[in-house]
Amino acid sequence: MEKRFDFPNLGIGLGLRTVHYGHLLEHWPEVGWFEILSENYMQTAGRPLYFLDQIAERYPVVMHGVSMSIGGADPLDRDYLTELKALKQRTHARWVSDHLCWTGVAGKNTHDLLPMPYTDEALRHTAARVREVQDFLESALLLENPSSYLEFANSSMKEWEFLAALAEEADCGLLLDVNNIFVSAHNHGFSVADYLAALPFHRVVQMHVAGHTDVGTHFVDTHIGPVIEPVWRLARDAYERAGGASLMLEWDAEIPSFDEVHTEAKKAETFMADGARCAL
Amino acid sequence: MRPLKDAFGVALEGGPQGAFSKERASATPVRRAAFAGSPARRSKGERAVPSLAPSLRALQEWFAAAVTHPRGVTESIEERGKIGEEPLYADELERIVIPTAALSSKERIDIYRDGYRARLVECLVDDYPAVAYALGEDRFETLCHGYMAAHPSQSPNLNAFGRHMAEWSQGFADPMAPFVSDLARLEWAMVTVLHAAPAQNLSLAELSRIPPAAFSTATFTKSDTALALEFAFPVNAFFQAFRMDRQPSVPARAWSATAVFRDGATLWRMDLSPPMHALLARLFGGSTLGQALDELAASGLLTEAHGPDVMRWFRDWVGHGFFGGIQVAA
Repeated sequence: MEKRFDFPNLGIGLGLRTVHYGHLLEHWPEVGWFEILSENYMQTAGRPLYFLDQIAERYPVVMHGVSMSIGGADPLDRDYLTELKALKQRTHARWVSDHLCWTGVAGKNTHDLLPMPYTDEALRHTAARVREVQDFLESALLLENPSSYLEFANSSMKEWEFLAALAEEADCGLLLDVNNIFVSAHNHGFSVADYLAALPFHRVVQMHVAGHTDVGTHFVDTHIGPVIEPVWRLARDAYERAGGASLMLEWDAEIPSFDEVHTEAKKAETFMADGARCAL
Repeated sequence: MRPLKDAFGVALEGGPQGAFSKERASATPVRRAAFAGSPARRSKGERAVPSLAPSLRALQEWFAAAVTHPRGVTESIEERGKIGEEPLYADELERIVIPTAALSSKERIDIYRDGYRARLVECLVDDYPAVAYALGEDRFETLCHGYMAAHPSQSPNLNAFGRHMAEWSQGFADPMAPFVSDLARLEWAMVTVLHAAPAQNLSLAELSRIPPAAFSTATFTKSDTALALEFAFPVNAFFQAFRMDRQPSVPARAWSATAVFRDGATLWRMDLSPPMHALLARLFGGSTLGQALDELAASGLLTEAHGPDVMRWFRDWVGHGFFGGIQVAA
């Protein structure tokens, strides 16, 4: 196990959410790190940055994006990347991540993480763009496996094969979302074990855990908590395979108190202590 | 939320966790009453027709059109009639999207269509909570769906997505449209001020250094974190009642004006009387203080009796950071 791009293992982190700003600024609780949604602090000069600056002064921050559209057919948005890089510098973010997806085409943005066709063309196209982004940011990019609700008939490889090949080809890091694996495995009927077996775990820098919703015909990645036990087991398995990684909880629907979210995230301590020893 | 009164007894209201603060996230929203009772579909992996192999761009253009089409996936596919250069109609979707036992190809695309619409409506509810309340869920969704089709997002960020809503709602086929448009203008002002860069504010100490004789020639730099708006309806009173959970009804037409401003993290709204608004609007527009006062006196909006009031208004506006600087003639 090598290749972590010199990124530190930050331990257990949380997503920075506006409903918790008041609590954070009043209590400054002990938290390993915060993940911010990059776009929430872009194209603004006002209140979001007022809070973020104070948080970033006191906690390690990492940036997680939803609009890079790394698999999109349109050219990369240079203005977006410039602002992203400026935000990274402003917050001293440890790393930047986004999703293996596309978000729009022909200049329009759906603001959704749209599914990729897993084809050779898409692989070459996306790998070239990841390299371009990394050159621009002067840092390794982490790509997250998305939740998806359909598969394209022209895919010539499985998602995990695509992700592994992409990571090698582009020499990028991975943000492994175990809830997304769980959701997509249910929706597409693949084996979680097959997925994990194929991943280059030496590239896994960060992990996500989250809740999801069973709507009967499929699972939806709603980020509603708490995290169910099978997803925690998957997290433990992935964490051990990775030999340690920074792990955070995403909770975006019906968000409870900060303490409740933090308590849920700290369930990872049961396996992270061992994993951290193994990694370090 | 901390309702309070300012020096004039005018209601102010604001707070660090009020409206307009919900973040966008990578989660997928769930549509109301979605997917109940979907019929069983083709078994996994069982394909009736050979798949198509469109280019990445052709596939993405086709898929994005289906997801964002205002009337539906089938309508989009039938209108296009092809993917790239290959003919493709709605009964051939399995050539592009693999169905499951539970969901047809179209239903799987619909998940993305529903998510797209739900996410953007959610964003507009966040920007326009009082408009959403005033219209009710169904009419607000209708307003939003039209808006999304007319003003699709072209930005990586949703902060400015709702900026055309006041203009758009003017043309909304609903008797409430004039009121809704006014209310949307107030709510968008709050979003604008929330995202504005904080300015170096003019201080009372700085103001006190200006010789009294020079005041009539003074012009003021408007702060980006302050706006003065004039309305045909009492929308601020409506908004305040909405925020206090008083379930207000749509008010009758009546002139009103409101200043929206930010101090640190807190958004504020201040009702303005006709002379207050007239004076502030002129100062924000670049008139000298002397010109503004003369015009208001000529129009009868201000009289000698308003003298102490004007001093008080002005001191308060400066105190709330409405102005970034002052310039006086040499």
